This record gives sequence, structure tokens and C-alpha cells, in this order.
Amino acid sequence: MNPAKNFEHLFSPLGDPENFKTLGVVTFLRSPQVSMEADALKDSGARFAFMGIPYDEGNVGKPGCEEGPQAFRVASHEYFPYWFEYQVDLEGSCVDCGNVRIPKVMPQLAHDRIYRAVREVLASDMVPVICGGDHSISISAAKALSDHIGENRKMGYLYFGAHLEMADSWAGEKMASPCTLARISELPNVDTANMGHVGARNSMNPKDHVELARERGIRFHSMDEALDRGLETVISEAGGQVWDGTDAQYLSFNMNIMDASAAPGVTAPEPGGFESREMMQTANLLGRMGSASIIEISDLAPVFDVSGTTSKLAACIVLRLMASMAKQRGEFVDQGIRRTDLR
Amino acid sequence: MNKSGFHTWEFVPHQHQGPAAHTGEDDHIHSPGKHNGAFKSRGLATFMGAPYCPPDRDAIRRMGAKICFLGVPWDQGQMVRAGTSQGPSGIREASTQYFPYMFEFDVDLMTFFRPVDCGDVPTVPGNNERSHEYIYQYVTECLEGGAKVILCGGDHSVPIPGSRALSDFHRDGRIGYLHVDCHLDSAPDWEGSPYTNCSGPARAFDLPNCDGGNMAHMCSRNGLNPKDWVDFWIDNKVRMIPMQEVVDRGIEVCSKEIFDIAWDGTDGVYWSWDTDSIDASCMPGTTAPETFGLKPREVIKHARIAGTYGADIFEISELTPHFDVSDMSIKLACCMIYQYLGSRARTLLDQGKSP
Repeated sequence: MNPAKNFEHLFSPLGDPENFKTLGVVTFLRSPQVSMEADALKDSGARFAFMGIPYDEGNVGKPGCEEGPQAFRVASHEYFPYWFEYQVDLEGSCVDCGNVRIPKVMPQLAHDRIYRAVREVLASDMVPVICGGDHSISISAAKALSDHIGENRKMGYLYFGAHLEMADSWAGEKMASPCTLARISELPNVDTANMGHVGARNSMNPKDHVELARERGIRFHSMDEALDRGLETVISEAGGQVWDGTDAQYLSFNMNIMDASAAPGVTAPEPGGFESREMMQTANLLGRMGSASIIEISDLAPVFDVSGTTSKLAACIVLRLMASMAKQRGEFVDQGIRRTDLR
Repeated sequence: MNKSGFHTWEFVPHQHQGPAAHTGEDDHIHSPGKHNGAFKSRGLATFMGAPYCPPDRDAIRRMGAKICFLGVPWDQGQMVRAGTSQGPSGIREASTQYFPYMFEFDVDLMTFFRPVDCGDVPTVPGNNERSHEYIYQYVTECLEGGAKVILCGGDHSVPIPGSRALSDFHRDGRIGYLHVDCHLDSAPDWEGSPYTNCSGPARAFDLPNCDGGNMAHMCSRNGLNPKDWVDFWIDNKVRMIPMQEVVDRGIEVCSKEIFDIAWDGTDGVYWSWDTDSIDASCMPGTTAPETFGLKPREVIKHARIAGTYGADIFEISELTPHFDVSDMSIKLACCMIYQYLGSRARTLLDQGKSP
């Protein structure tokens, strides 16, 4: 840990004009803004680079997740970087490199920009923390990770969502969100045995999705299975698939993994999903892996949200994951630190 | 209608029509091919995109439909807040977000059940009795047409004419009656009226061929259950499972118990499921949202267990889309029906039976 670090941020506001409610520039967890360039990012010394991808033209249902990144940033302002459950401090571990500039009605160009932006961040050896946008952003972001590590190294992909997203094509399109996992399974260094999927349920899973998943040997854990066998068992199993012999891991959370009541602010709310506490448990379990190459949240649609609950849950998932990973790496806050003005 | 003037059951996915039509076998259970298909660009808003069938016994028989979806846009039989007259259209809307294929059961609901949407029952504003008479007549047509009925209210006075129709349909036999609700709904009358949404089970008990031993209730809780409602179940020795017991013993055991009761020596079952049985956090779009209710995974379990038993009439009531949040209530209500039908189809298939 940097000995010169100022620890005032660990404590209740001390009268500084930057008080808890003063938003100022809205960045992820009030982290510094750094341009989306590998050199600048490298110089920051941080581990995670937050990037918004306000793209929802891959969405086939309700629109609205373009606004996801901004709501996510605002929600993150209601948290401290200090997480007492893990005894860790996330201050200095992340930067915010803004949103990828997304053109309208030019999905190919949008995907191209997403790809280049994610590659740039990966080139700095940082972990992109991506907030979509619809889940199709994963197609280009995963391709960026795949190309970044090169064909001689392997990557895994772990997805939490209500839908299988295994359409070979949707309405003739290959880059729509229902095609996301199908495209990722085609990446040269993704062995389908290293793909995991947890939470599929209900009737937005057409027959061809199930068949293609089976054909390609993707072992998915439906919501039924998660409930029958227990969340911990299933997540350990799916996580095991993803980390088994891989050099890079992509963690993708579609907010529709949650039960509609726990997360109304999503593009396609789906009954029968995870409860909040189960997602917290999931973040802890995954955090024990210590690291991931990309963390992604998708389909957060604030326009349908109630009292900011879904945005806050999304931010909480990511921050707990980061905190849990920091704990796993043993990056604890010195327990002897106290407010100096109280001595 | 075909050229000879008869209605035949023909399911034509909406994407098979118009200048950009594309056709392919089983399009309705696969990802759309040429455009977004019926998933977002719907045709006429029918339940599941099923064919429309006039609410007429001969037409239903000719179509060979085994499931009739029948809406009841009626909310003047209730004493809380209005809005459940929009329930049927909410479910039809939510069904556009689902495919008729259910991977959990590997069944195609469309070709298995040949469902039809019979539209809505006509109602008479301000006149509960006349409206109930129409409900009775339309439900009767569906039953006489040889179909099971998905009856979508509308307020919870709907089961009064609905169960009367089933009672008359099985006039030479016996029927069972199930009531899943956060309220006991067993008022002898409400301000003198015996036909409000507070009296479903009480009126079912009055039917000549519905014995109290074949009636059951589950999920009651909280303070809108006056004493005379409770007394009904105790004095008549009718099985009543309050929500606390559901929590203590589990949804599975309780659901099986009530269906065992309803099917014990009976010829048909009326299953009435009020959306307020579900927790308010997951079902804001209901007339009287109530805390401490079923959660969605319990809802799905209950629907699936029901599917292993079946029911002549599955009625969903008090769905109120204009109090909904992000479509979560209409989608859950729709999901209840799909999970029931999926489980029902799987059960029948495993038994080598047709619907």
C-alpha cells in the first residue's frame, strides 16, 4: 500500500467542502477521470478502469439501457470506497475513463468502437469494468479480450442472466443481444467447456437457443438447477468451468439475473430470479477467485427503476466483487488507522 | 374463418403475413428469421398470439381447442380500488414477451394445447348481477366446447359465476374449489350483497355439488380478514392454510395438499388464484397489494404443482396493470399461466395422454 496515501476518505466527512452529497464530476466511485488511452491508464496505477457503453441497439425488447452507465455512476456515489465487511479500501484502485462514444443507427461502427475501446484499456493491463448498454456489447468486448490475450492463451466467459442468448441469428442479425453467447462461443480461444451460464428461466428461451447450447457443449445451470442444488454448489461449478485452465476470465452480469422485484430497472424483468442477498453471496464466491479480466454489467434500464434500487444493486455487485477480490489478495486496511483529530 | 364459413384452428404466426412475410416450420418456438417477428411486432393482441375463436361452443369444438383464454374486464364487484378490468389486456401484452416454447419442460404449448383466445366477456357497468350472468354464459360456452379455461379477471367476484358454470357443467358429478388468496373471501355478504369479491368461497360452498371436503384455501394473512370470514372455514370444517403455515411447511407440501383435497373423488376443479396472494414487492400491480406473500419462485412452484393435477378452470384475478412497475406484475401473472401449462403438458405427455 502507498504509504503517502491520505486516509481521510475512510472517515465521516471532516468539513471539507467536498461533502458526501456534493456530486461534482460524476465518476465511478468518485475516482479520477482518465482518458481512454493505454499510457494514461497505466500511469494512474489503478487496477480497474470503469467505462460506460451506452448502446442499446442490440436489444430486442424494451429499450432504456443507454442510460445505464450514468445511473450506475450516480449510485456508486452513495458508497464509500471502504468496505467494512472485507476490511478493504478501494480508493486508488479504480479510474473512470468515461463512456465509449456510440453513434446512432450504425451498429457495426458502434461495435467497432466498443472493441477498440476495450482493447485500449486491456493494453494498459487494467481490468475494464464495463456498464452497458444491452448485453450485445459483450460480443465486441469479449472479442477484444480474446485478441488481447492472443490465440495461444485461453479465456473463459461466465454469464449471469435469465436468457440463454444462444440464437445463431435473430431476425437475420448476428450481433443482437439474443446472439451474444453464440458469438462468444465462436471465439478462437474460447473452449465452450470454459463457458458458464447461470439463471436461465421462463419462456424467452426459444428452442434453437437450447439446442445450440447443447450442440456446442455449453453446460448451463438453469435457475431451477440453482434452486434445487443450491446457489453455492452451482456457482462453484460454473465458476470452476470458467477458471479451469484459462488465462483470462470475463464476468458478465445481466441485471435480469435478478428477480423482477429485486431489480425492476432492467430491459426485460423476469420473475423467479436471484434475490439481492443471493447476488451478494455470488459476488463473494466469485471474489475468492482473486481476479477477473473484465467485469461487465448490462441491461440496467433506469427509466423503469424504482427509487434507484436497481442501479444501486448494480453498483453494489461490482463494488462487492472488487472488495472481495481485494480481500482475497490480502489488501487489508491497517486496522490501527484512526481519525487524527480525535486523538 | 375458412371458405365454407367455419372457423378452423389455424395458428398463423404474425411474421408469416404481410409483404415481409417469412415462413418456416415451428417459427413460433425459434428465434425470428427475417425480422423481429411477433416478438415485438405483434399482430392482434391475443393471449400467446393464439388464434381468436368466437366464444361459442360449436366454434371451439370445430377448432379442437383444448385451452380457451377468456378475459373478464370487470372491477365493479370489488370494494378496494378499481383497475383490474385492465387485467386481461395486461396478460395479453406480457405474453408477447414470451415464446410458446418452454425449455424447462421441452414443450410447445401452441401445438400441444391448440389454445384460442375467446376475447373478453361483455359486462354491464354498474350491474354486478347481469355481468355475472354473462360471465356464467361465456364460461359455459368454453366448457361445453370441450376446452379447459384460463379465466382472467377482473375482480375476485368472477369465481362466483365461474364456479357456478363449472358446477352446472358437472351437474351429475362433483367439483372441487381452490382459493389461493391473501384474503379468506368467505363473507356471507358484504353490506347485504352476497356476490362481491369477498364471497367467492362462500358462494362455491353453496353450490349443490361442491362439498366443503373438496374445498381448500391457502395464503391468507394480515388484517383484511374479518372474523366472520375466519368462522366460515372453521365452522364448515373447510381446510384453510394461512400464509404462516405455507412458510412453515413449504409451498410444495401445501400446494399438493390442497390439490389432493380438490381432486378427491371429484370430476372437475375450479382453481382460483388471486394475484394478491403474491408479495406486494413482486406484485405491485394488484388491487390490494399485501405484504408477507408468496415470492416468485414459490409462485412458479405452485403453478407447476398445479400442472401435475390440472384444473378445468384456472382463474387469475385482481391483476391491475396501472399500478404495475416495469411490467413485473403482468409478466409474473403471465409466467404463472405458462409455467402451469408447461407443467400440465409435460405431465400429460409423460402419461401418454393428450390434453
